[in-house]
Amino acid sequence: MTRDELQKKIVTILVDEFEFENPGLSDNLRDDHGFDSIDAIELLAKIEEMLGFQISRKEKEKAMSIRTINDILDYIETLQAAHTS
Amino acid sequence: MVENNPLTVFSDSLYDFAVTLVCWIYFIFAFLFFFSIFYLLAFFCLSGNREQYFQYLNYLFFNGFLGILRFLAPRHKWDIDPEISAIRGSIIVCNHVSYLDPLLLISLLPRQKTIVKSRFFKAPVFGWLINVSGYMPSTTEGVHGQRMIKQLGGMKKFLQSGGNLFVFPEGTRNRDGGLGKFHKGVFKIGRMCGCPVQVLHLCNTEKLFAPGKFLFNTRVHNRIRLEVLACVGPTAESGRVPASELEREVRQIFESHVERREAVQ
Repeated sequence: MTRDELQKKIVTILVDEFEFENPGLSDNLRDDHGFDSIDAIELLAKIEEMLGFQISRKEKEKAMSIRTINDILDYIETLQAAHTS
Repeated sequence: MVENNPLTVFSDSLYDFAVTLVCWIYFIFAFLFFFSIFYLLAFFCLSGNREQYFQYLNYLFFNGFLGILRFLAPRHKWDIDPEISAIRGSIIVCNHVSYLDPLLLISLLPRQKTIVKSRFFKAPVFGWLINVSGYMPSTTEGVHGQRMIKQLGGMKKFLQSGGNLFVFPEGTRNRDGGLGKFHKGVFKIGRMCGCPVQVLHLCNTEKLFAPGKFLFNTRVHNRIRLEVLACVGPTAESGRVPASELEREVRQIFESHVERREAVQ
């Protein structure tokens, strides 16, 4: 999946499932959209579904430091790379 | 009504002190010399089902604690909705007025989880107990992140198997009698797990154990009420319910209940 495709999917999930309004790629997820650790864990489950593999607990812990949509995209790309190598 | 005769006030205060002391003695010694044996047995011998046994032991322990308190403080009457003990597979939200509130809910729910202030996980013994019981920290800093991931990952399964998660959405005890701002976390868990959310209202535990006081106040005549106000959450038709909608619905239920009560009084 390309970064653009990922971005489209993630933004759709955030709008449809997490009640985001007009999310920007560099918005602070917590301050601008009230996105917290519970949301992060739910989003990780959606990312697992999307990628078709399970994310390990260690990888999930790294997601706790995500702050922006760009961070989410970087995180997914790192996951994809690790699971394809 | 409180008696004003100095001698009565003194003897009542002495009685409050004695009741508090007995409760502390139960808390420490019943745990050390009785319950700790079962906790250790469950920890070392029942590793597959540790969490569930710990929750059941918490339930028994606090049943004992509240049983003693109710016996020693007969001026406080307890109206507990019998439906509450039968709740299964739900998220329970309740207003919070006293430190007794979580103990009361644990004593009513044999399989319970809750959200606990993260600093309590560092406390010796108590921290270990709440961790093994599967209770969740309120923040994700440091090691709490791992705990939160583990607990939230298994929450849907826990609820589907009949467990309950009870939470005080105000986060802390409310001292002005109104309804404080809600933390959204519990509603997000409700959205994620797609389970019923039971709305409970509790009143007057603060008259028995007032915030900022060390002694129980056994002197007043009081009626502690815990009742089920409503059950909200997803239905087959509604599907996934947004967290903000759940929060709005729960707040509305609380507010109209408080309004009704005020109108009656």
